[in-house]
Amino acid sequence: MLVTLKNVYKIYGEGLESEVRALDGVSLDIDQGEFVAIVGQSGSGKSTMMNVLGCLDVPTRGDYFLDGTDVRELTDKELSHIRNRQIGFIFQQYNLIQSLSVLENVELPLIYQGIRADDRYDMAMEALERVGLANRIKHRPTEMSGGQQQRVAIARAIATRPPIIMADEPTGALDSHTGLEVLGFLQQLNKEGTTVILITHDNGIAATARRIVRLADGKIVDDHEQEVDWL
Amino acid sequence: MNIRQAVKMAFKSILGNKGRSFLTMLGIIIGIASVMTIVSTVNGMNQESMKQFEAMGTNKINVSARRYNGQDVFDDLYDYCSSLGSELVLGITPNANLWDLTVVYGSKSSKAMEKNQENMWNDDGTMNNDLALPPDCYLGSDQYAVCNIFRLAKGRDISNIDIKNYNQVCVLGARAAKNFFNYADPVGQTIQVNGYPFTVVGVYEEKDPGSAWSLDNIIVFPYTARRILSPGMDINEFVVKAASSEATTEVISRLSGFLAGLTNNGENGWGSAYSENQWQESQNEYLTMISMVLGGIAAISLLVGGIGIMNIMLVTVTERTREIGVRRAIGAERSAIVTQFLIEAAMLCGIGGIIGIGIGTLGTRAAGKLLMQIDIWPSAGITLCAFLLSVVLGILFGIYPAAKASKLQPVEALRAE
Repeated sequence: MLVTLKNVYKIYGEGLESEVRALDGVSLDIDQGEFVAIVGQSGSGKSTMMNVLGCLDVPTRGDYFLDGTDVRELTDKELSHIRNRQIGFIFQQYNLIQSLSVLENVELPLIYQGIRADDRYDMAMEALERVGLANRIKHRPTEMSGGQQQRVAIARAIATRPPIIMADEPTGALDSHTGLEVLGFLQQLNKEGTTVILITHDNGIAATARRIVRLADGKIVDDHEQEVDWL
Repeated sequence: MNIRQAVKMAFKSILGNKGRSFLTMLGIIIGIASVMTIVSTVNGMNQESMKQFEAMGTNKINVSARRYNGQDVFDDLYDYCSSLGSELVLGITPNANLWDLTVVYGSKSSKAMEKNQENMWNDDGTMNNDLALPPDCYLGSDQYAVCNIFRLAKGRDISNIDIKNYNQVCVLGARAAKNFFNYADPVGQTIQVNGYPFTVVGVYEEKDPGSAWSLDNIIVFPYTARRILSPGMDINEFVVKAASSEATTEVISRLSGFLAGLTNNGENGWGSAYSENQWQESQNEYLTMISMVLGGIAAISLLVGGIGIMNIMLVTVTERTREIGVRRAIGAERSAIVTQFLIEAAMLCGIGGIIGIGIGTLGTRAAGKLLMQIDIWPSAGITLCAFLLSVVLGILFGIYPAAKASKLQPVEALRAE
């Protein structure tokens, strides 16, 4: 198993009457090469789920094994390494750094990996070519459309060739056409073997995934696989 | 993440907000400029006064000695000092001024020059430095030049043989040579001193140009010439030139011992030796203290500048919380975030420091011109220190904001607007 959650709780204000169980005893296995949509209403705990899965946050209780490593045992530095090498993030708001050019944004995770400048350039250019933006490398994010910015974000996520892509409402800020384009990229990556975890509130988007995990009130209420047409 | 990348990013972020970056730097600029101006100016004054000391002679020991029976002490002192060797003593000479001499060469006469003293001051209160004033006449040994830091420009110096043989010779200082001979060559010419003919054998190099009261307006005679120039005069004052400031202390203590022996502990006469080095040292200490006090006051403005940097860096961290969250999410370690903000603060201060050094250099030059009419450049050491100080200030005041940035939780930072 690539990802194993065992009885995971994420509780805010623990012990108080006002305690909130964002994750309430969640257990989940995700295998390598899966395309999983985690779907739920706002407040269902899906964002917390994404933060825990993405090693941005640690669970209050329960075990999280990523590729066999117990994440709860890791130091901040080791968590940074995992985020850097194992996971590529795609956010709803793109989260590009405005003061950096397109190329520099894509190079950023490679810089933190300590890769030499010319190798870094090659890897970033390869990622940008895949999303069709190799000719816009000098531009600032603000000079681009939302769809283009999200493609830059995808390039940044795949530049380090991580085994897992984690996309948090990647189409949320886009019109339906560019949204489909972004989904197409994710499906393509999945076909090549990358595990994709897609977090969304939109059932229509979730329906394109091979596996749908439905969350409500911090609990998994449904988990099923389905046939998809894009495979 | 390597430093070069961090420097590049910091540069971008500083350039991305030029107006604010400049205002932030202003405190550092003013602080560095004022500290630099004050320290460099005082330093320049210090060196100027050192230069004057050196023209008069450092490591000079003034010796006074006399036997009650009138027997000359110079020969004994001369032999004793020669025995100490050149690692301690460079030379010894009598220090005796000859008064009321009349020096004549052709139509030039020291008596006529005395009249010039009345016209010495211009109407506006400045000195008329073109006038020829009567020369100061000294009795010296063959080591007079060493003791008083003169170098020969022409001819030869007074020799031991001149002294032994009572030769009627003399050496002129550059200003005296000009006053009497203008541009003609004095060497080999004969001047009349109190009516006695003296041959000029040499001319010293100019060492104190400009003033009518120049140290170069001198004539030096072998000390045995006192027999005809000032009969019956006692020579009680001597100058010993020590090899170094350490040697000065050593020689003073040895000479004191020797003089005690010479005068039989004061029974047959008296003797003492002291140096102006001590006075020079305390003068230097005084100037250094002034520079530290003034520099300290100016340093307060640096402190204020540093706090300004800290303030702006805290604002920057707050503004860029989301960016920090993104960086953390895609794999930046805490140390990378710390490095990024520290380098940004250090660069901000370093650039401010460079501008401040520029202004401080102008300030130093202006202060030197206005206060002392001298040309001062800040020393390389002070410049380097000022630059390092600004960078260190940046790092120091950047630590808190940088630590704050690195402690942000990725999840919360990403949520920030």
